[in-house]
Amino acid sequence: MAKLKAFTQEWMNAFRRRIADSKEYREIAGNWEGSVSIIINPDPARGVPETVYLFTDYWHGDVKDFLVCDKAKAESADFIMSGDYIRWKQIARKEIEATKALMQGKLKLKGNLVYVVRNVKTVNKVVDLLGEVDTLFPDD
Amino acid sequence: MFYDRDLSFIYYGPTRIVFGINSSRDIQAEIEALGCRRAVLVTDPGITKAGLLDRVVKSLGPGCAGVFSDVPQDTGIEVVNAGAAYARKCGADAVVSLGGGSVIDTAKGMCVLMKEGGKLEDFEGVQLLTRWQTPHVVIPTTAGTGSEVTCMAVVLDKRKGQKIFLLENYNTPRTAILDPALTEKLPPLLTASTGMDAMCHAVEALHSIQREPITDGIAMHAIRLLVRNLPICVNNGSDLAARGQMQIAATMAGWAFNNSMVSIVHAMAHSIGAVAGVPHGIANGILLPFGMEYNLPEAAESYALAAEALGTREKGMGEIEAAESAIRAVREFTVRIRHPQRLSEAGVSRDQLAQAAELSVSDGAIIWNPRPVPDSSDVLELFQKAF
Repeated sequence: MAKLKAFTQEWMNAFRRRIADSKEYREIAGNWEGSVSIIINPDPARGVPETVYLFTDYWHGDVKDFLVCDKAKAESADFIMSGDYIRWKQIARKEIEATKALMQGKLKLKGNLVYVVRNVKTVNKVVDLLGEVDTLFPDD
Repeated sequence: MFYDRDLSFIYYGPTRIVFGINSSRDIQAEIEALGCRRAVLVTDPGITKAGLLDRVVKSLGPGCAGVFSDVPQDTGIEVVNAGAAYARKCGADAVVSLGGGSVIDTAKGMCVLMKEGGKLEDFEGVQLLTRWQTPHVVIPTTAGTGSEVTCMAVVLDKRKGQKIFLLENYNTPRTAILDPALTEKLPPLLTASTGMDAMCHAVEALHSIQREPITDGIAMHAIRLLVRNLPICVNNGSDLAARGQMQIAATMAGWAFNNSMVSIVHAMAHSIGAVAGVPHGIANGILLPFGMEYNLPEAAESYALAAEALGTREKGMGEIEAAESAIRAVREFTVRIRHPQRLSEAGVSRDQLAQAAELSVSDGAIIWNPRPVPDSSDVLELFQKAF
């Protein structure tokens, strides 16, 4: 199967399916409710000419909307994570951990940190599943 | 192998340290060195009553834009918002905090609002800021929290009934003035418990999954200073040389955990504090050896380093043996400084332990623990041992 281009709706759909099909995610994420947006800063030299806005929504083990969206939609999420393209790529490839990247200032988080760390297993599982999506990054 | 072959980290510790007996008299020069003219002084009623505020106001001279002294023991959003409004009204361009953790966290929140405007709730999060905030000089009046060099502020949101975290490198205090004379009157129990808070920062930085060589070195020397000087301070609070070394130890431990983080002992201390009102330092001091015992299978290497710093690692000792000697040494140390040994001595009742155990596994600090904590039953067992 061909790799999916990162940050496209098709890629978001595949990401959503991975999570929805994961029994383990369903068990871990029973307490999580709320939307998370991902903002990827532009990096023209690596093929990301404009800011990318992604919106994901989770509800007690279920997954709801997974959208490539505009700025306003992204900023309406309960949690907003933003960072440089290269950092997101490192996270998707499991080269750095999301929590460590946050603490080191490689990513930014707007929202309640306590809630996030309380549900860190859920966050880590979502990142693991993201890594399983066969992805073609803009600079690959 | 001490560290993973793929070790990667960022060490961050930008705070300028000014140390010496009566160094707080240099406050005006330090404010000017930051390019500022008038600072608002943030403190609490206890510091005012102890006469420490007057000293610093006098040293600030015309550089004192005003005094905000309404900080309670656990600061809240409304306190920070009121403090920032006051600072703006005074025309302050810098903040000086004089006190312990709650005062320093209030000042950190004020620094953000003075620079960015808005309400504190708008800045809840991690590394959101993109420029340096209002210059902040901290003058700690205890030797324990390390907050004078950390990027974190914790503020209570009463409306939501939860604490909010601001974790911002750009809001790390610019300068910390460590003046031993300001800690001279701390009573023995408070000296011991705040000192054990620092000890816990150092040991937890050593066993954290985010440990690295720089913070390990800093934490180890903090432990050496603590072991040598805390008993002296408890027995003779007027020994300003020992008081000064304690302040340095607390600041070093602050640098260590600001980078490596803390873990299960702090998670448990936060929780038993919330459930039973146990002061943070006392909870840490009681729980530390129990947390070390729990982590021993995964953290022997770290505790062997602690043993070196504690002076208990003898020639020929293996890693496990050295680690066990560190745990024993921490326990004996708390006896030596007359620190409470059991949670039951700190006003905890047995029926509060289960709730505290549940809270602990959802505390942020637990994610950095070297031994994974599967559920609350492990924590409950630890609480019961420490009861």
